[in-house]
Amino acid sequence: MILRLRRACAVLVLILTAAAPSAAQAPLDDPDLDVNLAQPDFTLVALPTTLRVPRHKSAFRVTHRFTRPLGDGSFGDLAGDLFGLDSGAQIGMEYRYGIMRGTQVGIHRTSDRTIEFFSQHELKAQSSSFPFTIDALATVDGTNNFRDSYSPGLGAVISRTIGEHAAFYVQPVWVNNTNRLPSEVVDDNDTVLIGIGTRLRIRPTVYLAIEGAPRVAGYDPGSAQIGVGLEKRSGGHTFQLTFTNGFGTTIGQLARGARNRADWHFGFSISRKFY
Amino acid sequence: MKRICLCAAWALMVLTNAGCDEKLSTITGPTPELTPTFSSIQRTIFNVTDSSGRLACVQCHTDQGRTPSGGLVMLEGRAYDALVGRASTGKPGATRVIPGDPDNSYLVRKLEGASDIAGQRMPRGNGPFLTEGQMLVIRRWVSQGAPNN
Repeated sequence: MILRLRRACAVLVLILTAAAPSAAQAPLDDPDLDVNLAQPDFTLVALPTTLRVPRHKSAFRVTHRFTRPLGDGSFGDLAGDLFGLDSGAQIGMEYRYGIMRGTQVGIHRTSDRTIEFFSQHELKAQSSSFPFTIDALATVDGTNNFRDSYSPGLGAVISRTIGEHAAFYVQPVWVNNTNRLPSEVVDDNDTVLIGIGTRLRIRPTVYLAIEGAPRVAGYDPGSAQIGVGLEKRSGGHTFQLTFTNGFGTTIGQLARGARNRADWHFGFSISRKFY
Repeated sequence: MKRICLCAAWALMVLTNAGCDEKLSTITGPTPELTPTFSSIQRTIFNVTDSSGRLACVQCHTDQGRTPSGGLVMLEGRAYDALVGRASTGKPGATRVIPGDPDNSYLVRKLEGASDIAGQRMPRGNGPFLTEGQMLVIRRWVSQGAPNN
């Protein structure tokens, strides 16, 4: 495990240094600096989008998923608990950086001590001659502060934007070692999920994001995580209220799914672009 | 060129971690050598008292110098035939090991202390009993068809 950790860190350093800045800043005319009205943020609710981080720019996101199910107790109880805000939460913090045009790397840590490193690279952009944007996605998450149970993932993020009003996503991802038990005693140790989602611009700066991450093969405990987000964009900030049936915010967590379909949780995410 | 290097490094990051798995010994506790094969179960569970103090099955399930408990002999070379597909003498209608069906295999139910067993949970004497991880391995061997491997 320690050897794997060292190798992963060494390769991450390699990635981070592979495109060492030849110019200190992105050019001012870089179109990636402009607001993309159809996909204003780097994630839907938990799934990634194909929004590019401008070269040598970065973004930060914090996620809160309150652990009290919205259906737990009477409405009075729930209101008294401010819809779960007074109970515990799974909190995530994320930082991503554009190491070159169309390529971003990042780190996401959740309060169950899972750390995910991820990398996304645009293979083909949507244009008048090509209807989709296709990104390659690589992730690896490890529990216990990246000391145990590593789950690498490999997949694609395919998007289609409709003008400035909507974006649609399909994301086939294979995740290894999703089952925390040794492979000798289980049937499946990998998961193939297909993330599907959309973001609809319902007001000039207000969006509705809907996503699901059904598992189509391999280890699939519980049920697929589903999320709905209502969000407001304000300059470089995006504030999103979320309703999800699970707490997963990394690809590995999404592969392991939500506990069940019935328990829905309130939450929020705040992201900030540093450009 | 830079882009190709980056893609290669990116793919390498995944490949270095692909094939990750937990070690079986992390769940088998006092019997780190235990694997879901009959020979391993015989060697590490039936034959020996482990470091937790859990008693070896062959202490009682032997016909050497005594009458075997429950009429079951778990000595090496004889245990497989006595277990797999054989009716329990303690509970009418129960089969000791049903290949592919750990939930209804009486051996598993006795070791886990299910509510419907006749007599005591095994190993007798109020424990220590087999750990959850050890039971997962035994269950796996049964669910794989209980081969004589």
